[in-house]
Amino acid sequence: MIEDKRLLILVVDDNPLNLKLLETTLSKDGYQVVSADNGPDARKIAVDEKPDLILLDIKMPKEDGFKVIKKLKESSATSTIPVIFLTGVSDIDTKLFGFELGAVDYITKPFHPREVLARASLHLKLSIATNSLIASQAQKLRQITEAQTSMLTTPAMQPQAKFGVYFLALNEAGGDFYDVLPISEDIFGYFVGDFSGHDIKTSYLTLSVKALLKQNSALVYQAHESMKMINDVLVEILPEGKYLTACYARLNRKTNQMTIINAGHPPAIFVPSDGKAVTIEMKGDILGIFKEIYFGQFNIEVKSGDRFYFYSDGLIESFQEKVTWPIGSDELIAACEDVRYVPVQDAPEKIANMLLKNNSKMKDDIVILGIEV
Amino acid sequence: MDLRMLGSNLGLEEEEFVELVELFITTAKNDINNLNEAFLKRDAEKVAESAHSLKGSSGNLGFTELSKISNIAEEKAGEEDLELIDELIESMRKHIAEIEACLGK
Repeated sequence: MIEDKRLLILVVDDNPLNLKLLETTLSKDGYQVVSADNGPDARKIAVDEKPDLILLDIKMPKEDGFKVIKKLKESSATSTIPVIFLTGVSDIDTKLFGFELGAVDYITKPFHPREVLARASLHLKLSIATNSLIASQAQKLRQITEAQTSMLTTPAMQPQAKFGVYFLALNEAGGDFYDVLPISEDIFGYFVGDFSGHDIKTSYLTLSVKALLKQNSALVYQAHESMKMINDVLVEILPEGKYLTACYARLNRKTNQMTIINAGHPPAIFVPSDGKAVTIEMKGDILGIFKEIYFGQFNIEVKSGDRFYFYSDGLIESFQEKVTWPIGSDELIAACEDVRYVPVQDAPEKIANMLLKNNSKMKDDIVILGIEV
Repeated sequence: MDLRMLGSNLGLEEEEFVELVELFITTAKNDINNLNEAFLKRDAEKVAESAHSLKGSSGNLGFTELSKISNIAEEKAGEEDLELIDELIESMRKHIAEIEACLGK
């Protein structure tokens, strides 16, 4: 891994003098350095050479640093490379905008080479620590031999989280599960996941993911970062061919911001307090297969009374034989509309009863999780 | 001006620093020419751009006086005030000549 090679830093600046100064300073300190004097070249090098860190000038003709980082973050091959901005501008809005786009730090010009070295090594250390944290979490989970029974959380246990759930497991070793995580007083995480296959390994993996959720849902992590860390561990521990689809939401009840991440899971349903129910369609990779992963992400400003429903595919695939997805979800949307005035704690069960009433033999587990703002 | 000192402030050997200063003189002259051209065309935005570039590179190498002058030029141009620019350009050229003289020694 990282120990086997010299750390590679990509420096990007349209001013040849700055480029040369950075190259000289960094290579003197033992780093391998590649450089680019424009955005498109920088992106190509990032993909081809996979640097451990990128120092990126903001003010460049044609494609500026903001455009470059946006494209880097959008591509799964380069999204995890830490980027430090170099800038002569020191106003706070510009800086915050850069952080929002995914930069890890800023170096203000004129920069002192020693400051560049200090910041570069700090962020390389952080990045290495994150990677080894992932490795050690995977190690720990591998060591769990006996799966202790972990209680599924209930609305009564966490009334502040304002949710309701319907959970039906076909057998002990079901692939579906859910969790509700208190992240801070006003922030909660909601998770619905479905492992491929039903075997005893699956139920042990369910516990592993719940442990991972607890470890990686801390306040400092954005929703997609939590999912990314879980994916990194799952890639290490999952047996071949096994994967997880999931929907994860982080709701801040104070700022009314909701972020939903979708990883190959059926679309969530959004029932606004003053509008018609809709599905939130997003593309996203499944968890546990790809080291570099792309998630669907949906950010929305919510208001009091808005509801969201997450569910597993058992719901829309089993209530009618050979039902196709669009039809299944149409009926589900209608059901979510019907329970609009039912308390959220009871709504998921009502939905399940409506959809499953004509169906005696269940083929899959079912989870429905309802959240109210 | 003590190039050895300026270099060691940056943690660089003298010859590494000299190499950088040589490159600096080329880019700085280029910046000043662009600045002058933009000034003659009364293009305040381009003046500010070239001054910004020179401010950064001179500041990075520790030529603080030159960096300050460039900063004034950038700010004035930002306010569309080009009155003093020709004097500032003159002063920039003088600084560059001094640096070149040091290199020649």
